[in-house]
Amino acid sequence: MKTLILGEVVNNQLSVGTLELLKKANDLSLDCLIFTIGSEEKPLIGSETFNQTYIKRSKDFLQFNNIADRLFQIIKDEEIKLILASSTYQCRDLIAFLSVDLQASPISNVIDFNIENQKVFTINSISGGESLYKSKINSEYSLLLIRPKSFNPIDVELNTDYKIEEIENNNLNVFDIYKEEKTGPQLEDAKIVISAGRGMVSKDNLYIIEELANKLNAAIGGTRAIVDAGWMPYSQQVGQTGKTVKPDIYIACGISGATQHQVGMKDSKFIIAINKDEEAPIFQIADLGIVGDTLTVLPKIKDSI
Amino acid sequence: MNITVCAKQIPDPSNEIVYENGLIKRPHEQVLDDTDRYGIELALQLKQKFDSQVTIISMGPSGSQKGLQQALQMGADKAYYVDDQELVGANSLMTANVLAELAKFSDADIVIFGTESTDGYSGTVPQQVSRFLRLDCISYVKAIEIDDVVTLTRQTLDGSEKVAMPEKCVISVTAGGVEPRYPNFKDIMAAKSKPLEKVELSSLNLTITQNLEFVDIQNIENSKNGTKIIDEGDAYLEIINKLKELKII
Repeated sequence: MKTLILGEVVNNQLSVGTLELLKKANDLSLDCLIFTIGSEEKPLIGSETFNQTYIKRSKDFLQFNNIADRLFQIIKDEEIKLILASSTYQCRDLIAFLSVDLQASPISNVIDFNIENQKVFTINSISGGESLYKSKINSEYSLLLIRPKSFNPIDVELNTDYKIEEIENNNLNVFDIYKEEKTGPQLEDAKIVISAGRGMVSKDNLYIIEELANKLNAAIGGTRAIVDAGWMPYSQQVGQTGKTVKPDIYIACGISGATQHQVGMKDSKFIIAINKDEEAPIFQIADLGIVGDTLTVLPKIKDSI
Repeated sequence: MNITVCAKQIPDPSNEIVYENGLIKRPHEQVLDDTDRYGIELALQLKQKFDSQVTIISMGPSGSQKGLQQALQMGADKAYYVDDQELVGANSLMTANVLAELAKFSDADIVIFGTESTDGYSGTVPQQVSRFLRLDCISYVKAIEIDDVVTLTRQTLDGSEKVAMPEKCVISVTAGGVEPRYPNFKDIMAAKSKPLEKVELSSLNLTITQNLEFVDIQNIENSKNGTKIIDEGDAYLEIINKLKELKII
Protein backbone atom coordinates (compact mmCIF):
# COMPACT_ATOMS: atom_id res chain seq x y z
CA MET A 1 0.00 0.00 0.00
CA LYS A 2 1.51 3.32 -1.09
CA THR A 3 2.19 5.23 2.12
CA LEU A 4 3.04 8.78 3.14
CA ILE A 5 4.73 9.38 6.49
CA LEU A 6 4.53 12.91 7.89
CA GLY A 7 7.84 13.48 9.63
CA GLU A 8 8.79 16.02 12.23
CA VAL A 9 11.97 17.67 13.41
CA VAL A 10 12.91 17.76 17.09
CA ASN A 11 16.26 19.06 18.31
CA ASN A 12 17.35 19.53 14.71
CA GLN A 13 16.87 15.89 13.76
CA LEU A 14 14.15 13.48 12.75
CA SER A 15 11.82 13.04 15.73
CA VAL A 16 11.70 9.77 17.63
CA GLY A 17 7.99 9.56 16.77
CA THR A 18 8.86 9.63 13.06
CA LEU A 19 11.52 6.95 13.55
CA GLU A 20 8.87 4.81 15.24
CA LEU A 21 6.55 5.14 12.24
CA LEU A 22 9.43 4.26 9.93
CA LYS A 23 10.09 1.08 11.90
CA LYS A 24 6.48 -0.03 11.64
CA ALA A 25 6.32 0.85 7.94
CA ASN A 26 9.52 -1.11 7.44
CA ASP A 27 8.15 -4.13 9.31
CA LEU A 28 5.06 -4.13 7.08
CA SER A 29 7.23 -3.56 3.96
CA LEU A 30 5.13 -0.54 3.00
CA ASP A 31 6.06 1.42 -0.10
CA CYS A 32 6.84 4.71 1.65
CA LEU A 33 7.48 8.35 0.93
CA ILE A 34 8.53 10.55 3.83
CA PHE A 35 7.74 14.25 3.91
CA THR A 36 9.14 15.97 6.94
CA ILE A 37 7.87 19.39 7.98
CA GLY A 38 10.07 21.79 9.91
CA SER A 39 11.48 25.29 10.04
CA GLU A 40 15.10 24.42 10.87
CA GLU A 41 17.88 25.29 8.40
CA LYS A 42 19.59 21.96 7.77
CA PRO A 43 18.20 19.29 10.09
CA LEU A 44 19.48 15.73 10.23
CA ILE A 45 16.52 13.96 8.66
CA GLY A 46 17.87 12.17 5.60
CA SER A 47 18.99 8.58 5.35
CA GLU A 48 20.24 6.16 2.74
CA THR A 49 17.47 3.76 3.69
CA PHE A 50 14.44 5.94 2.90
CA ASN A 51 13.18 8.58 0.48
CA GLN A 52 13.03 11.88 2.34
CA THR A 53 11.68 15.28 1.26
CA TYR A 54 11.97 18.27 3.56
CA ILE A 55 9.01 20.66 3.51
CA LYS A 56 10.55 23.77 4.91
CA ARG A 57 8.16 26.24 6.44
CA SER A 58 8.91 29.66 7.82
CA LYS A 59 8.92 29.84 11.58
CA ASP A 60 7.44 33.34 11.24
CA PHE A 61 4.14 32.21 9.70
CA LEU A 62 1.37 29.75 10.49
CA GLN A 63 1.41 27.83 7.23
CA PHE A 64 -0.28 24.53 7.99
CA ASN A 65 -3.15 25.16 5.56
CA ASN A 66 -0.62 25.82 2.79
CA ILE A 67 1.36 22.72 3.76
CA ALA A 68 -1.83 20.63 3.71
CA ASP A 69 -2.58 21.96 0.20
CA ARG A 70 0.84 20.80 -0.95
CA LEU A 71 0.49 17.41 0.76
CA PHE A 72 -2.92 16.89 -0.84
CA GLN A 73 -1.35 17.41 -4.23
CA ILE A 74 1.45 14.94 -3.41
CA ILE A 75 -1.09 12.34 -2.23
CA LYS A 76 -2.97 12.63 -5.51
CA ASP A 77 0.13 12.69 -7.74
CA GLU A 78 1.81 9.76 -6.01
CA GLU A 79 -1.39 7.75 -5.56
CA ILE A 80 -0.86 7.52 -1.82
CA LYS A 81 -3.55 5.58 0.07
CA LEU A 82 -2.22 5.43 3.64
CA ILE A 83 -1.05 8.49 5.59
CA LEU A 84 0.75 8.05 8.90
CA ALA A 85 1.64 10.70 11.47
CA SER A 86 2.44 10.98 15.15
CA SER A 87 -0.17 12.51 17.46
CA THR A 88 1.60 15.86 17.84
CA TYR A 89 0.31 19.43 17.61
CA GLN A 90 1.54 19.94 14.07
CA CYS A 91 0.49 16.56 12.71
CA ARG A 92 -2.96 16.76 14.26
CA ASP A 93 -3.57 19.99 12.36
CA LEU A 94 -2.25 18.59 9.09
CA ILE A 95 -4.06 15.24 9.27
CA ALA A 96 -7.31 17.02 10.19
CA PHE A 97 -7.00 19.37 7.19
CA LEU A 98 -6.18 16.49 4.85
CA SER A 99 -9.11 14.42 6.12
CA VAL A 100 -11.50 17.10 4.85
CA ASP A 101 -9.79 17.23 1.47
CA LEU A 102 -9.73 13.43 1.16
CA GLN A 103 -13.25 12.98 2.63
CA ALA A 104 -11.99 10.28 4.99
CA SER A 105 -12.26 10.55 8.76
CA PRO A 106 -8.89 9.98 10.45
CA ILE A 107 -8.40 7.73 13.46
CA SER A 108 -6.66 9.36 16.43
CA ASN A 109 -4.66 7.79 19.25
CA VAL A 110 -3.87 4.63 17.31
CA ILE A 111 -1.42 2.29 19.09
CA ASP A 112 -1.05 -0.33 16.36
CA PHE A 113 -2.28 -1.11 12.87
CA ASN A 114 -2.02 -3.73 10.17
CA ILE A 115 -3.17 -4.31 6.62
CA GLU A 116 -5.31 -7.25 5.55
CA ASN A 117 -6.62 -7.60 1.99
CA GLN A 118 -5.76 -3.99 1.19
CA LYS A 119 -7.77 -2.72 4.16
CA VAL A 120 -6.26 -0.92 7.14
CA PHE A 121 -7.20 -2.19 10.61
CA THR A 122 -6.32 -0.06 13.61
CA ILE A 123 -6.05 -0.69 17.34
CA ASN A 124 -6.87 1.90 19.98
CA SER A 125 -6.36 1.51 23.68
CA ILE A 126 -9.51 2.25 25.70
CA SER A 127 -10.59 2.10 29.33
CA GLY A 128 -7.12 3.02 30.53
CA GLY A 129 -5.48 0.22 28.59
CA GLU A 130 -7.79 -2.51 29.84
CA SER A 131 -9.26 -3.08 26.41
CA LEU A 132 -8.21 -2.87 22.79
CA TYR A 133 -10.61 -1.36 20.28
CA LYS A 134 -10.24 -2.58 16.73
CA SER A 135 -11.55 -0.64 13.71
CA LYS A 136 -11.55 -1.18 9.98
CA ILE A 137 -11.18 1.70 7.53
CA ASN A 138 -13.42 1.39 4.50
CA SER A 139 -12.55 4.61 2.66
CA GLU A 140 -10.13 4.91 -0.23
CA TYR A 141 -7.73 6.81 2.03
CA SER A 142 -6.63 5.85 5.53
CA LEU A 143 -5.34 8.58 7.85
CA LEU A 144 -3.79 7.53 11.15
CA LEU A 145 -2.59 9.61 14.09
CA ILE A 146 -0.38 7.32 16.11
CA ARG A 147 0.48 7.70 19.78
CA PRO A 148 4.19 8.15 20.44
CA LYS A 149 6.02 5.10 21.81
CA SER A 150 3.69 2.66 20.10
CA PHE A 151 6.63 1.14 18.20
CA ASN A 152 10.37 0.99 18.70
CA PRO A 153 12.28 3.59 16.68
CA ILE A 154 14.12 2.41 13.56
CA ASP A 155 17.88 2.33 13.93
CA VAL A 156 19.35 4.35 11.06
CA GLU A 157 22.14 6.79 10.50
CA LEU A 158 20.78 10.24 9.68
CA ASN A 159 22.33 12.69 7.22
CA THR A 160 21.48 15.98 5.52
CA ASP A 161 20.91 14.50 2.09
CA TYR A 162 17.31 15.09 0.94
CA LYS A 163 15.13 17.12 -1.38
CA ILE A 164 13.89 20.47 -0.08
CA GLU A 165 10.62 22.24 -0.88
CA GLU A 166 9.88 25.64 0.55
CA ILE A 167 6.37 26.73 1.48
CA GLU A 168 5.31 30.22 0.47
CA ASN A 169 4.52 32.77 3.13
CA ASN A 170 0.95 33.77 3.85
CA ASN A 171 -0.53 36.55 5.95
CA LEU A 172 -0.70 34.72 9.29
CA ASN A 173 2.30 36.25 10.94
CA VAL A 174 3.69 34.65 14.10
CA PHE A 175 5.70 36.61 16.64
CA ASP A 176 7.22 36.42 20.13
CA ILE A 177 8.38 32.86 19.52
CA TYR A 178 9.37 31.45 22.87
CA LYS A 179 11.36 28.30 23.54
CA GLU A 180 10.81 26.75 26.94
CA GLU A 181 14.01 26.38 28.92
CA LYS A 182 14.54 22.69 29.30
CA THR A 183 16.82 21.62 32.08
CA GLY A 184 17.40 18.15 33.41
CA PRO A 185 16.09 14.97 31.81
CA GLN A 186 13.11 15.28 29.46
CA LEU A 187 9.84 13.52 30.17
CA GLU A 188 9.83 11.37 27.05
CA ASP A 189 13.27 9.89 27.53
CA ALA A 190 13.96 10.01 31.28
CA LYS A 191 14.71 6.72 33.04
CA ILE A 192 12.73 7.88 36.04
CA VAL A 193 9.58 9.98 36.02
CA ILE A 194 7.99 11.42 39.13
CA SER A 195 4.46 12.69 38.59
CA ALA A 196 2.22 14.80 40.75
CA GLY A 197 -1.55 14.72 41.15
CA ARG A 198 -4.17 16.44 43.26
CA GLY A 199 -2.88 14.58 46.31
CA MET A 200 0.03 17.02 46.42
CA VAL A 201 -2.67 19.41 47.73
CA SER A 202 -1.09 22.66 46.52
CA LYS A 203 1.33 24.00 43.96
CA ASP A 204 3.52 25.13 46.86
CA ASN A 205 4.24 21.48 47.69
CA LEU A 206 5.71 20.66 44.29
CA TYR A 207 9.18 21.64 45.53
CA ILE A 208 9.20 18.29 47.36
CA ILE A 209 8.94 16.51 44.02
CA GLU A 210 11.50 18.83 42.45
CA GLU A 211 14.03 18.09 45.18
CA LEU A 212 13.55 14.35 44.89
CA ALA A 213 13.70 14.54 41.09
CA ASN A 214 16.99 16.39 41.32
CA LYS A 215 18.46 13.69 43.54
CA LEU A 216 17.26 10.85 41.31
CA ASN A 217 17.92 12.64 38.00
CA ALA A 218 14.24 12.19 37.22
CA ALA A 219 11.86 14.13 34.97
CA ILE A 220 8.69 15.63 36.42
CA GLY A 221 5.19 15.07 35.08
CA GLY A 222 1.67 15.84 36.18
CA THR A 223 -1.96 14.90 35.70
CA ARG A 224 -4.43 16.86 33.61
CA ALA A 225 -6.12 18.07 36.80
CA ILE A 226 -3.04 19.86 38.08
CA VAL A 227 -2.05 21.17 34.66
CA ASP A 228 -5.56 22.61 34.28
CA ALA A 229 -5.15 24.12 37.73
CA GLY A 230 -2.02 25.88 36.50
CA TRP A 231 0.49 24.07 38.73
CA MET A 232 2.56 22.91 35.76
CA PRO A 233 2.84 23.75 32.06
CA TYR A 234 0.89 21.66 29.55
CA SER A 235 4.17 20.27 28.22
CA GLN A 236 4.52 18.26 31.43
CA GLN A 237 1.11 16.61 31.25
CA VAL A 238 1.18 12.82 31.18
CA GLY A 239 -1.85 11.00 29.83
CA GLN A 240 -4.35 10.78 27.02
CA THR A 241 -4.04 14.41 25.96
CA GLY A 242 -0.48 14.81 27.14
CA LYS A 243 2.68 12.82 26.81
CA THR A 244 3.18 9.08 26.80
CA VAL A 245 6.07 7.91 28.96
CA LYS A 246 7.64 4.49 29.43
CA PRO A 247 10.43 5.02 31.99
CA ASP A 248 12.12 2.29 34.00
CA ILE A 249 10.49 3.71 37.10
CA TYR A 250 7.34 5.81 37.36
CA ILE A 251 6.49 7.29 40.74
CA ALA A 252 2.88 8.48 40.95
CA CYS A 253 2.47 10.90 43.84
CA GLY A 254 -1.06 11.63 44.96
CA ILE A 255 -2.49 10.46 41.65
CA SER A 256 -5.77 8.56 41.74
CA GLY A 257 -5.12 7.01 38.34
CA ALA A 258 -7.99 8.07 36.09
CA THR A 259 -7.98 6.01 32.91
CA GLN A 260 -6.94 9.10 30.95
CA HIS A 261 -3.77 9.30 33.03
CA GLN A 262 -3.06 5.57 32.91
CA VAL A 263 -2.98 5.61 29.11
CA GLY A 264 0.09 7.82 29.27
CA MET A 265 2.13 5.81 31.79
CA LYS A 266 0.84 2.26 32.27
CA ASP A 267 3.63 0.75 30.17
CA SER A 268 6.33 2.04 32.51
CA LYS A 269 8.52 -0.86 33.60
CA PHE A 270 8.03 -0.41 37.34
CA ILE A 271 5.25 1.70 38.80
CA ILE A 272 5.35 3.03 42.34
CA ALA A 273 2.18 4.70 43.61
CA ILE A 274 1.68 6.70 46.77
CA ASN A 275 -1.90 7.65 47.56
CA LYS A 276 -4.04 8.12 50.65
CA ASP A 277 -7.03 6.38 49.12
CA GLU A 278 -6.64 2.63 49.35
CA GLU A 279 -9.23 2.17 46.59
CA ALA A 280 -7.49 4.49 44.10
CA PRO A 281 -7.37 2.85 40.64
CA ILE A 282 -3.65 3.61 40.36
CA PHE A 283 -2.98 0.70 42.75
CA GLN A 284 -4.37 -1.77 40.19
CA ILE A 285 -1.46 -1.05 37.86
CA ALA A 286 1.20 -0.30 40.49
CA ASP A 287 4.00 -2.76 41.15
CA LEU A 288 4.53 -1.17 44.53
CA GLY A 289 1.73 0.74 46.21
CA ILE A 290 2.01 2.75 49.38
CA VAL A 291 -1.27 3.69 51.01
CA GLY A 292 -0.28 6.88 52.77
CA ASP A 293 0.18 10.62 52.57
CA THR A 294 2.49 11.60 49.74
CA LEU A 295 3.46 14.74 51.62
CA THR A 296 4.99 12.72 54.48
CA VAL A 297 6.37 9.79 52.46
CA LEU A 298 8.26 11.80 49.84
CA PRO A 299 10.42 13.89 52.21
CA LYS A 300 11.48 10.71 54.01
CA ILE A 301 12.62 9.19 50.73
CA LYS A 302 14.50 12.32 49.82
CA ASP A 303 16.22 12.54 53.20
CA SER A 304 17.42 8.96 53.09
CA ILE A 305 19.04 9.17 49.68
CA MET B 1 -18.81 40.18 15.09
CA ASN B 2 -20.55 36.85 15.70
CA ILE B 3 -18.82 34.45 18.04
CA THR B 4 -19.81 30.80 18.01
CA VAL B 5 -18.64 28.15 20.45
CA CYS B 6 -18.89 24.44 19.76
CA ALA B 7 -19.95 22.51 22.84
CA LYS B 8 -20.32 18.81 23.43
CA GLN B 9 -22.61 17.00 25.80
CA ILE B 10 -20.87 13.98 27.29
CA PRO B 11 -21.65 11.31 29.88
CA ASP B 12 -20.77 12.53 33.39
CA PRO B 13 -16.99 11.98 33.43
CA SER B 14 -17.02 10.91 37.07
CA ASN B 15 -18.59 7.66 35.85
CA GLU B 16 -16.60 5.07 33.96
CA ILE B 17 -17.12 5.09 30.18
CA VAL B 18 -19.19 2.09 29.07
CA TYR B 19 -19.09 0.79 25.50
CA GLU B 20 -21.97 -0.86 23.70
CA ASN B 21 -21.43 -2.28 20.21
CA GLY B 22 -18.28 -0.24 19.93
CA LEU B 23 -19.94 3.03 20.86
CA ILE B 24 -19.81 5.02 24.07
CA LYS B 25 -23.08 4.37 25.88
CA ARG B 26 -24.74 7.73 26.44
CA PRO B 27 -27.22 8.21 29.25
CA HIS B 28 -30.35 10.27 28.60
CA GLU B 29 -28.95 13.16 30.58
CA GLN B 30 -25.46 14.28 29.65
CA VAL B 31 -23.41 17.19 30.92
CA LEU B 32 -21.37 19.97 29.33
CA ASP B 33 -17.81 18.81 28.67
CA ASP B 34 -15.58 20.79 31.04
CA THR B 35 -13.18 21.27 28.14
CA ASP B 36 -15.80 23.45 26.46
CA ARG B 37 -15.98 25.77 29.46
CA TYR B 38 -12.61 27.16 28.37
CA GLY B 39 -13.98 27.88 24.90
CA ILE B 40 -17.10 29.53 26.30
CA GLU B 41 -15.03 31.65 28.68
CA LEU B 42 -12.79 32.81 25.83
CA ALA B 43 -15.89 33.72 23.83
CA LEU B 44 -17.38 35.68 26.72
CA GLN B 45 -14.17 37.67 27.10
CA LEU B 46 -14.23 38.49 23.38
CA LYS B 47 -17.91 39.40 23.66
CA GLN B 48 -17.04 42.11 26.18
CA LYS B 49 -14.56 43.64 23.80
CA PHE B 50 -16.56 43.45 20.60
CA ASP B 51 -20.04 43.81 22.07
CA SER B 52 -21.09 40.76 20.11
CA GLN B 53 -23.33 37.75 20.53
CA VAL B 54 -22.13 34.36 21.71
CA THR B 55 -23.90 31.40 20.13
CA ILE B 56 -23.44 27.82 21.25
CA ILE B 57 -23.65 25.08 18.62
CA SER B 58 -23.76 21.37 19.36
CA MET B 59 -24.45 18.08 17.66
CA GLY B 60 -25.10 14.54 18.79
CA PRO B 61 -27.94 12.22 19.68
CA SER B 62 -28.87 13.33 23.13
CA GLY B 63 -32.46 13.68 24.28
CA SER B 64 -31.86 16.07 27.14
CA GLN B 65 -30.13 19.40 26.53
CA LYS B 66 -28.86 19.87 30.07
CA GLY B 67 -25.28 20.40 28.93
CA LEU B 68 -26.35 23.22 26.63
CA GLN B 69 -28.33 24.81 29.46
CA GLN B 70 -25.07 24.79 31.42
CA ALA B 71 -23.39 26.60 28.53
CA LEU B 72 -26.15 29.23 28.50
CA GLN B 73 -25.82 29.62 32.26
CA MET B 74 -22.20 30.66 31.82
CA GLY B 75 -23.39 33.61 29.75
CA ALA B 76 -23.80 32.53 26.13
CA ASP B 77 -26.78 34.20 24.43
CA LYS B 78 -28.38 31.35 22.51
CA ALA B 79 -27.82 27.81 21.35
CA TYR B 80 -28.49 25.78 18.21
CA TYR B 81 -28.28 22.02 18.28
CA VAL B 82 -28.79 19.04 16.06
CA ASP B 83 -30.17 16.02 17.90
CA ASP B 84 -30.75 13.09 15.58
CA GLN B 85 -30.36 9.32 15.82
CA GLU B 86 -28.56 9.46 12.47
CA LEU B 87 -25.65 10.94 14.39
CA VAL B 88 -25.10 7.84 16.55
CA GLY B 89 -21.48 6.81 16.03
CA ALA B 90 -20.60 9.82 13.87
CA ASN B 91 -16.85 9.93 13.30
CA SER B 92 -14.78 13.09 13.73
CA LEU B 93 -15.18 14.20 10.12
CA MET B 94 -18.96 13.76 10.11
CA THR B 95 -19.07 15.66 13.40
CA ALA B 96 -17.00 18.46 11.90
CA ASN B 97 -19.21 18.51 8.80
CA VAL B 98 -22.34 19.07 10.92
CA LEU B 99 -20.64 21.67 13.13
CA ALA B 100 -19.28 23.57 10.13
CA GLU B 101 -22.81 23.75 8.72
CA LEU B 102 -24.13 24.93 12.09
CA ALA B 103 -21.38 27.55 12.22
CA LYS B 104 -22.58 28.85 8.86
CA PHE B 105 -26.16 28.73 10.12
CA SER B 106 -25.16 30.91 13.09
CA ASP B 107 -23.31 33.26 10.73
CA ALA B 108 -20.11 32.86 12.75
CA ASP B 109 -17.04 35.02 12.28
CA ILE B 110 -15.08 33.40 15.08
CA VAL B 111 -15.63 29.72 15.93
CA ILE B 112 -14.18 28.53 19.22
CA PHE B 113 -13.52 25.01 20.52
CA GLY B 114 -11.88 23.24 23.41
CA THR B 115 -8.88 21.27 22.18
CA GLU B 116 -10.39 17.81 22.47
CA SER B 117 -13.45 16.29 24.08
CA THR B 118 -13.15 14.39 27.32
CA ASP B 119 -14.97 11.31 26.03
CA GLY B 120 -13.82 10.94 22.42
CA TYR B 121 -10.36 12.55 22.49
CA SER B 122 -9.94 12.59 18.73
CA GLY B 123 -8.60 16.16 18.93
CA THR B 124 -9.12 16.92 15.24
CA VAL B 125 -12.61 18.44 15.02
CA PRO B 126 -11.64 22.15 15.39
CA GLN B 127 -9.11 21.87 12.58
CA GLN B 128 -11.53 19.92 10.40
CA VAL B 129 -14.24 22.56 10.89
CA SER B 130 -11.79 25.29 9.91
CA ARG B 131 -10.95 23.43 6.73
CA PHE B 132 -14.61 22.95 5.84
CA LEU B 133 -15.15 26.67 6.37
CA ARG B 134 -11.89 27.60 4.63
CA LEU B 135 -10.88 29.72 7.62
CA ASP B 136 -7.54 30.04 9.35
CA CYS B 137 -7.17 27.76 12.34
CA ILE B 138 -5.41 29.03 15.44
CA SER B 139 -5.03 25.80 17.38
CA TYR B 140 -3.87 25.04 20.96
CA VAL B 141 -4.36 28.57 22.27
CA LYS B 142 -3.08 28.74 25.83
CA ALA B 143 -3.40 32.45 26.57
CA ILE B 144 -5.24 35.49 25.27
CA GLU B 145 -4.50 39.20 25.61
CA ILE B 146 -7.35 41.51 24.75
CA ASP B 147 -6.09 45.00 24.05
CA ASP B 148 -6.41 47.21 20.98
CA VAL B 149 -5.81 43.98 19.14
CA VAL B 150 -6.47 40.45 20.33
CA THR B 151 -3.32 38.39 20.68
CA LEU B 152 -3.49 34.62 20.95
CA THR B 153 -0.61 32.58 22.35
CA ARG B 154 -0.31 29.10 20.84
CA GLN B 155 1.25 26.11 22.53
CA THR B 156 3.98 24.62 20.33
CA LEU B 157 6.11 21.53 20.64
CA ASP B 158 8.91 23.33 22.43
CA GLY B 159 7.31 26.51 23.75
CA SER B 160 4.86 29.02 22.40
CA GLU B 161 4.24 31.63 19.72
CA LYS B 162 1.83 34.52 19.32
CA VAL B 163 -0.52 35.47 16.53
CA ALA B 164 -2.92 38.38 16.10
CA MET B 165 -6.48 37.06 15.92
CA PRO B 166 -7.77 37.31 12.33
CA GLU B 167 -11.25 38.81 11.78
CA LYS B 168 -12.55 35.39 10.83
CA CYS B 169 -11.02 32.20 12.15
CA VAL B 170 -11.40 29.00 14.13
CA ILE B 171 -9.71 28.83 17.53
CA SER B 172 -9.08 25.85 19.78
CA VAL B 173 -8.20 26.66 23.37
CA THR B 174 -6.33 24.33 25.72
CA ALA B 175 -7.56 23.61 29.21
CA GLY B 176 -6.12 26.23 31.52
CA GLY B 177 -5.92 28.85 28.74
CA VAL B 178 -8.50 30.97 30.54
CA GLU B 179 -10.27 30.65 33.89
CA PRO B 180 -13.90 29.61 33.27
CA ARG B 181 -16.48 31.57 35.25
CA TYR B 182 -19.04 29.96 37.50
CA PRO B 183 -22.64 30.97 36.97
CA ASN B 184 -24.45 32.43 39.96
CA PHE B 185 -28.12 31.93 40.78
CA LYS B 186 -29.14 34.89 38.62
CA ASP B 187 -27.24 33.51 35.62
CA ILE B 188 -28.87 30.13 36.08
CA MET B 189 -32.35 31.65 36.16
CA ALA B 190 -31.62 33.94 33.18
CA ALA B 191 -30.48 30.96 31.07
CA LYS B 192 -33.96 29.46 31.23
CA SER B 193 -35.39 32.13 28.94
CA LYS B 194 -32.55 32.12 26.40
CA PRO B 195 -33.21 30.65 22.94
CA LEU B 196 -32.29 26.96 22.68
CA GLU B 197 -33.27 25.89 19.17
CA LYS B 198 -33.18 22.56 17.45
CA VAL B 199 -31.96 22.51 13.86
CA GLU B 200 -33.09 19.62 11.66
CA LEU B 201 -30.24 17.47 10.39
CA SER B 202 -32.00 17.20 7.02
CA SER B 203 -31.76 20.98 6.56
CA LEU B 204 -27.95 20.87 6.56
CA ASN B 205 -25.72 20.28 3.56
CA LEU B 206 -23.76 17.19 4.58
CA THR B 207 -21.23 15.52 2.31
CA ILE B 208 -19.40 13.07 4.58
CA THR B 209 -20.32 9.44 5.12
CA GLN B 210 -19.11 6.84 7.62
CA ASN B 211 -15.78 5.27 6.67
CA LEU B 212 -14.86 3.63 9.97
CA GLU B 213 -16.22 0.25 11.00
CA PHE B 214 -16.10 -1.17 14.51
CA VAL B 215 -14.57 -4.66 14.50
CA ASP B 216 -14.30 -5.72 18.14
CA ILE B 217 -13.15 -4.91 21.66
CA GLN B 218 -10.74 -7.25 23.40
CA ASN B 219 -10.11 -7.10 27.10
CA ILE B 220 -6.54 -7.57 28.17
CA GLU B 221 -5.24 -8.74 31.50
CA ASN B 222 -3.83 -5.63 33.08
CA SER B 223 -3.98 -6.13 36.80
CA LYS B 224 -0.50 -6.47 38.17
CA ASN B 225 -1.01 -8.01 41.59
CA GLY B 226 1.60 -5.62 42.86
CA THR B 227 2.52 -5.19 46.50
CA LYS B 228 0.35 -2.77 48.48
CA ILE B 229 1.51 -1.52 51.86
CA ILE B 230 -0.36 0.64 54.34
CA ASP B 231 2.03 3.32 55.57
CA GLU B 232 2.58 3.27 59.28
CA GLY B 233 5.57 5.54 59.16
CA ASP B 234 8.27 3.48 57.48
CA ALA B 235 6.70 2.36 54.18
CA TYR B 236 9.11 4.75 52.47
CA LEU B 237 11.80 2.15 53.18
CA GLU B 238 10.10 -0.18 50.70
CA ILE B 239 10.63 2.44 48.02
CA ILE B 240 14.24 2.99 49.07
CA ASN B 241 14.88 -0.76 48.95
CA LYS B 242 13.32 -1.00 45.52
CA LEU B 243 15.39 1.91 44.21
CA LYS B 244 18.50 0.17 45.54
CA GLU B 245 17.47 -3.14 44.01
CA LEU B 246 16.99 -1.42 40.65
CA LYS B 247 20.42 0.19 41.13
CA ILE B 248 19.02 3.70 40.98
CA ILE B 249 20.67 4.68 44.24
